[in-house]
Amino acid sequence: MQKIVDNHPLKAFNSLTLMLENITNKVMTSKYNPFYYHGALPQYYLWVLYLSGLLLFAYYIPTIDNAYFSKNLVNAWTSVDYITKSLPFGGVIRGIHRYAGDAMVITIFLHAIRVWFTDRYRQYRWLQWVSGIILAIFVLFIGQTGYYLVWDERSLLLTRMTAGAFEAIPFIGSGLKTWFLNGDQITNLTLSNFLFIHIGLSFFLLFGLWVHYLRMTRPVMTPPPAVNYILTAFVLICVFLFPINSGQMADLNTQPNAFEIDWFFLFPYALLSQMPVGAYWAVMVLGTVAITALPWIMIPKQPAIETAEVVLNKCTGCSLCYKDCPYQAIEMVPAPAGSRFKLLATVKDFRCSGCGVCVGACAFDAIDLPDLPDAEVNAKIKALLEAKG
Amino acid sequence: MSDAQKTVITLICERAVEVNVDGGGACPDVPGMKVIKFPCSGMIQPLMIEAALKNGAEGVVVCGCQIGDCYYREGNRMIRERLLGDRPPTMKKGTDRRRILALWLARPQKDRFISESKEFIAKLGSLPAPEAK
Repeated sequence: MQKIVDNHPLKAFNSLTLMLENITNKVMTSKYNPFYYHGALPQYYLWVLYLSGLLLFAYYIPTIDNAYFSKNLVNAWTSVDYITKSLPFGGVIRGIHRYAGDAMVITIFLHAIRVWFTDRYRQYRWLQWVSGIILAIFVLFIGQTGYYLVWDERSLLLTRMTAGAFEAIPFIGSGLKTWFLNGDQITNLTLSNFLFIHIGLSFFLLFGLWVHYLRMTRPVMTPPPAVNYILTAFVLICVFLFPINSGQMADLNTQPNAFEIDWFFLFPYALLSQMPVGAYWAVMVLGTVAITALPWIMIPKQPAIETAEVVLNKCTGCSLCYKDCPYQAIEMVPAPAGSRFKLLATVKDFRCSGCGVCVGACAFDAIDLPDLPDAEVNAKIKALLEAKG
Repeated sequence: MSDAQKTVITLICERAVEVNVDGGGACPDVPGMKVIKFPCSGMIQPLMIEAALKNGAEGVVVCGCQIGDCYYREGNRMIRERLLGDRPPTMKKGTDRRRILALWLARPQKDRFISESKEFIAKLGSLPAPEAK
């Protein structure tokens, strides 16, 4: 059996990552190395987004005209304008919401790149990879709906582009467009739908994260406070250096055709503006499928995992391996009748990574990796010591 | 190093620092060192360390990846806690802890591994001989 330790296709990138982390370790010690919390960084930004979003939600008005306020025009754009210019610290909160979103996309990207480079996305980790892709797509879509919500000219153009792109999908296209616009055309109801998508889907992220964490024991969800302060500082620096301003208010009678692009969220629109709709969807769908399939296509012949095996007559049911298994691959089941013990460890092969942590956790030699049983290790230790002495 | 008869056993994660090993399990860079590789340092049992010391090893080097970075998520942290006595199963109380060296080194840190283990072996020479068991 050939193990893929040093000969996986991204070996060079793996060394690069480790070198980089070695440098950050020297600067900030391994306890505070942000690379060791790469999965927790987007999660932290998610909390920042929830909190700042809640504050914005209190003042945001999801309409495009003043149906209920006849004297002054009050709509999404003016409410955002009010938040930004009149509300104390409103502009800061808005800036935090925007830049934390951008930061979340960056950290998600770093997270994905790191697990890819360090070869930690395959086999028993497929569920994390696939759910991560789905989460990333939802984060992008939620971020894009955030750009529609401010209702400036860019929002109008993006809304029209999205509706057009949806309409071009065969069979379900017109339905999707109607769902997206909450009717056949852009009305007040459109913006309330956008607000619903923006907030509703962001809570779906929590469900997605639950799936993302399912097979992991003790998932690293919270960076140490010191790292959180640095993450917050990054966002605040951007907020004060590059304050956020809306463009011109959207006017349904105009045809805006150019906008400043936020490359973190709006890159699909750059693509959409450069190619026909059919080609755009082909690129998007094929790209997503290709990335999702990476765990299976990167290394065509992946050696099967040598899963741990419980030695039935030695297991005392002490649960130490069950507690230490990093992939929740060990389940304690009631011991068969006639056993001296109450519980028995069983291995769920489809979750097992073959790492052997359970072997290290067992004080009774009751769990083994088939390719390196601990009896063999002890024999080897003896042989090595006797060879010279 | 002074006594060529003595051997130091290294229990190491195969994904941690890259150590040259010849066919007999010896490491040519560090005289007197024999290496056993594991899929993860988390697989190393305290029992194995005790067995090595009991069978006449002068010292044991336990080496995993840098703390915080484990291919299998937590293996190096687990064996570290076991060595420190914070996570069962732990070492026996009578074990001579001066003869155990834990190193947490990433793949590219080969030089550090060699220098640290040579220093360790030199220090072992100055320790009183282990009591016969």
